[in-house]
Amino acid sequence: MKAAILIWQKQLRKALVHPEEIVGMLIQPILWVILFGVGMRSMMGATAPDSGSDYMTFIVPGIVALTAVSGAIAGGSTWLNERIIGIVKEYLAAPIPRLSILTGNAAGIVTKVLIQSVIIFIVGLLMGAQINANPLGWFGGLVLIAGYGIGFSGFALGVASSTDSSEGYHMMIFLLQLPLLFLSNSLYPLETLPVWMRIGAYINPTTYVVTGLRQTTLELPPAMGSMTNIPVILCYLVSAGFAALGMYAALKAFKRAIS
Amino acid sequence: MIANEKAISVTGLSKRYGKEGLAVDGIDFSIQRNTIYALLGPNGAGKTTTISMLTTLVAPTSGRAEVVGFDVVQKAAQVRQRIGVTFQEIILDPDLTGRESLNFHARLYGIGKNERLAKIDELLSLLELEEAADRRTNTYSGGMKRRLELARGLLTDPEILFLDEPTQGLDPQNRANIWEYIRELKENSNMTLLLTTHYMEEAEALADRVGIMDRGKIVVEGAPRELIDQMGADNIRIMGRGNPNSFSERVRNLSYVESFNSANGIIQIGVDSGNRRLVEIVETAIYSGYKIEDISVAKPGLGDVFLKYTGRQLRDR
Repeated sequence: MKAAILIWQKQLRKALVHPEEIVGMLIQPILWVILFGVGMRSMMGATAPDSGSDYMTFIVPGIVALTAVSGAIAGGSTWLNERIIGIVKEYLAAPIPRLSILTGNAAGIVTKVLIQSVIIFIVGLLMGAQINANPLGWFGGLVLIAGYGIGFSGFALGVASSTDSSEGYHMMIFLLQLPLLFLSNSLYPLETLPVWMRIGAYINPTTYVVTGLRQTTLELPPAMGSMTNIPVILCYLVSAGFAALGMYAALKAFKRAIS
Repeated sequence: MIANEKAISVTGLSKRYGKEGLAVDGIDFSIQRNTIYALLGPNGAGKTTTISMLTTLVAPTSGRAEVVGFDVVQKAAQVRQRIGVTFQEIILDPDLTGRESLNFHARLYGIGKNERLAKIDELLSLLELEEAADRRTNTYSGGMKRRLELARGLLTDPEILFLDEPTQGLDPQNRANIWEYIRELKENSNMTLLLTTHYMEEAEALADRVGIMDRGKIVVEGAPRELIDQMGADNIRIMGRGNPNSFSERVRNLSYVESFNSANGIIQIGVDSGNRRLVEIVETAIYSGYKIEDISVAKPGLGDVFLKYTGRQLRDR
């Protein structure tokens, strides 16, 4: 635990060294909401005149999920780099548990994701999304996204532990990222999808995390497929389970890489 | 701890990497406390793999190794707590300053704040890094990086310090500096050092004992002076054409020849005095019908020992 905290601190310290990373980290979610959110809202407004402002509300949790995935991918890439340079050897020779190396890294990634999520909520609010003013709701949303972020970080760290090639890492991650994001209700309501995609979405943790986010952070259940039939407690359980599964996968891949 | 207890003891240690074959092939050696032991050999001999197993980074395929009395597989945590390592590649985080790197490392080992800060100051001063301490390590020269890594290895007061190619890529002056630090360390502490190198003069200059490694095996082991003395006072090295058999038979029978070795077309003859015996050796070659193409006389070194036991030359670079 102590070692994980230490590695977490180091990751954040390293981020502070690069102002461009901080600026990018802060601006990226704003751009997502403004460019993607507003663009999609306009399109929805054109096809179904009443749904425009609802769509902005609808999509904010999806953008949060997308940001978590991007953050995890970047974090996995950093980890791959540290493995290739050999920085990881310093941890391996030290009297600390292997798992703490991974959890420290995942915690560093998720910290950045949480900061970005808060920005998305604020910008979304400014852009007209009907976001809950209840701090407890926001807190619940951040817990959900933390679990999701740790889970996907775990898979990213796992993939980054299984390859020595940056290209290989990005290809593998791409294969994981696409279905996780698009085979879910994060960007469009499930009701409009063909049955096979809906089935895929129901076994995808992203669906539960996004649904949970809608239930905890949004003011009104939006008209377009809030999936309130999934109880919020299940969303928390899936988020926690995904976090555990991701870290397990990371540890397994990491141990195989060093054996 | 008992004074003459072994710091490291290794029996039948092997490591196989997939289809690449045996990187380390059943080696045995042991290291006395408070001595410097050097594994000398060319790149790819298995030195780094050996260090990786002893520092618990890589699990052995077979065999056993104990470091300060603890099995490297069963008691890896105890081993890690008691050793310091500097790796062959420079693995400093470019985003951290020298002081931050040391501070992070000390905290990984759970060293308390006061002790940590005092020790960091002491090592920065010892390794002459005080001025650069608060600069990011990506601004350091190669020599400074190596010194910082040495400081990091020493930070936790290890019982055994592993140095994998500690002077690789350094110019002669920086190399001499690092040697000086290593010698001082041994003088002023009870530390045991295991270093690997492919520079024979490094092993000669530093090591109490040296294990010459080639193709995963330790081919010969001993004190550098002992190994070199076996080669004779002077070493005549000959390359030539023709059948060397009758030449070698005649040379072996000369009274002043102290050692004779022939492999891969290189003949090494250890004699009491090279300059005095050269003419007679050449005459013997001519008389035996062996045509000399190249001949040299030199004081023998570990490079000649390496040649004797492996049949190949240990290139300096």
